[in-house]
Amino acid sequence: MSLREIADSQSFWLKGDGPEADIIFSSRIRLARNLRGFIFPPWADSLTLKRVSEKVLDAIKRCNYLKNARLIDMNKLSSIERGFLLERHLISVEFSRGGSHRFLVVQQGEMLSVMINEEDHLRLQTIFSGLQLREAWRVANKLDDELSEHLDYAFSPQFGYLTSCPTNVGTGMRASCMVHLPALVMAGKINELLKGISQLGLVARGLYGEGTASHGDFFQISNQVTLGLKEEEVVDNVERVTRQVVGQERKAREILLKRNGAQLKDQIGRAYGILTNAHLISSQEAINLLSKLRMGVSLHLLPEFDMKVLNELLFLIGPAQLQIKSGKNLDASSRDELRAKIIREKLTGSY
Amino acid sequence: MVCEICGQREATFHFKEVINGQVRELHLCEVCAREKGLLEESFFMPDFSLSNLMTGLSSLEVPFLKEKVERCPNCSLTYEEIRKKGKIGCSSCYHTFREYLIPLLERIHGKSYHSGKVPTRKEMGDEKSKQIYRLRRELDKAIKEERYEEAAKIRDEIRKLEGFEKGERNESSRNS
Repeated sequence: MSLREIADSQSFWLKGDGPEADIIFSSRIRLARNLRGFIFPPWADSLTLKRVSEKVLDAIKRCNYLKNARLIDMNKLSSIERGFLLERHLISVEFSRGGSHRFLVVQQGEMLSVMINEEDHLRLQTIFSGLQLREAWRVANKLDDELSEHLDYAFSPQFGYLTSCPTNVGTGMRASCMVHLPALVMAGKINELLKGISQLGLVARGLYGEGTASHGDFFQISNQVTLGLKEEEVVDNVERVTRQVVGQERKAREILLKRNGAQLKDQIGRAYGILTNAHLISSQEAINLLSKLRMGVSLHLLPEFDMKVLNELLFLIGPAQLQIKSGKNLDASSRDELRAKIIREKLTGSY
Repeated sequence: MVCEICGQREATFHFKEVINGQVRELHLCEVCAREKGLLEESFFMPDFSLSNLMTGLSSLEVPFLKEKVERCPNCSLTYEEIRKKGKIGCSSCYHTFREYLIPLLERIHGKSYHSGKVPTRKEMGDEKSKQIYRLRRELDKAIKEERYEEAAKIRDEIRKLEGFEKGERNESSRNS
């Protein structure tokens, strides 16, 4: 099947229609599951992986929640195609290296997906727009129940769901919210806040690329512990903390606007100017400027933009996305050119 | 500076990430960076984690070593092999190496007992497993509520059931 179809279709979680979606991109639940008796993927030979994938695919076929899902054989993809799925948040870095008997099953809209033979035999993922962690858990839980009717999960009464890495054992669940916190970063309050989060037993992860370039306004808040707590407790915990973080971000925006209004508006205006006029733009620069624009929209300084357009631009202008969309291999400067063109068109066309 | 993975070649790539406000740096040579998938054009990947690449069990010492090297009856790995790779071999390993894993899990999670959901499938856990599971929850509750006498009774009951389970292990590696 062609990935073009996915490239041309919508990721529902990017719609930006969930609660608090101007600050919280997405709420995601990931469940790690394995089959009893089968060696875990990092140690398994090809025959084991094959038998596992057959069993899991058979169970998935019988699953109502994944009725019209697409099946993608990772072994048949080029490295650009695998990069595309990675940028689309459908697979992990580890999975994007490919390999035989590895499959991705993805439901239309990309809210539900399953990786087969990643680090664990199964990795279930649900991803929703905005703050909808409880809903994401509800759906993941149902899918998991459905699959467990057909699969003999590796489970122990003491340790819970058994996983390849001991950091996931127990619930096998990672609950996370991806948040956009430009004002807290600008105000220099972010490190303090992140430290506070760690004291609550959660992980707040900011991302820095190579050298000084940074995606410094984006963070992921997730649980660290998977053993000894109920899923609902963890979901509530992550959701509660994320809500508090959003409150802090809104307060910081208000203060910035009051104290340094001109400076803030200037930065947003300049970001808008560059994005709508640039003819070459790297993904790094685009992300940094789109971050400002996003805040501008949220503060009603640029009311005419649709959040969905900005989200799509943020997530869908990576190198692999561009090459899949254009249907050919592009070198870095052609990518920068195409990226700038898409951004100009999307931004000026969305008045 | 030498590469932090191979410890041989010169580190020419430098990565940085911030977790809970703490900066963590990783210095790699080109070969290792490529192998870890870090050389593709950097893009928006909040999932990506340097520490996931680096840690696992490898930084954690074996709590104590037994005289003879025990192998998991299902996947035939030793704990040493598992520790090196940072990944457990199969579901039976959790049973075989439980003495090693319990302190490890307590360090990672602060607890070594599951209290979340249980698979729905009927033939899944047998009656005994379910009973142990139920008793553990009661035990947790009793300790929380400081009913220690009751807790001790529940603990003894669990031990009795687990002892029975252990004796059976050689015939069936299913009860991991």
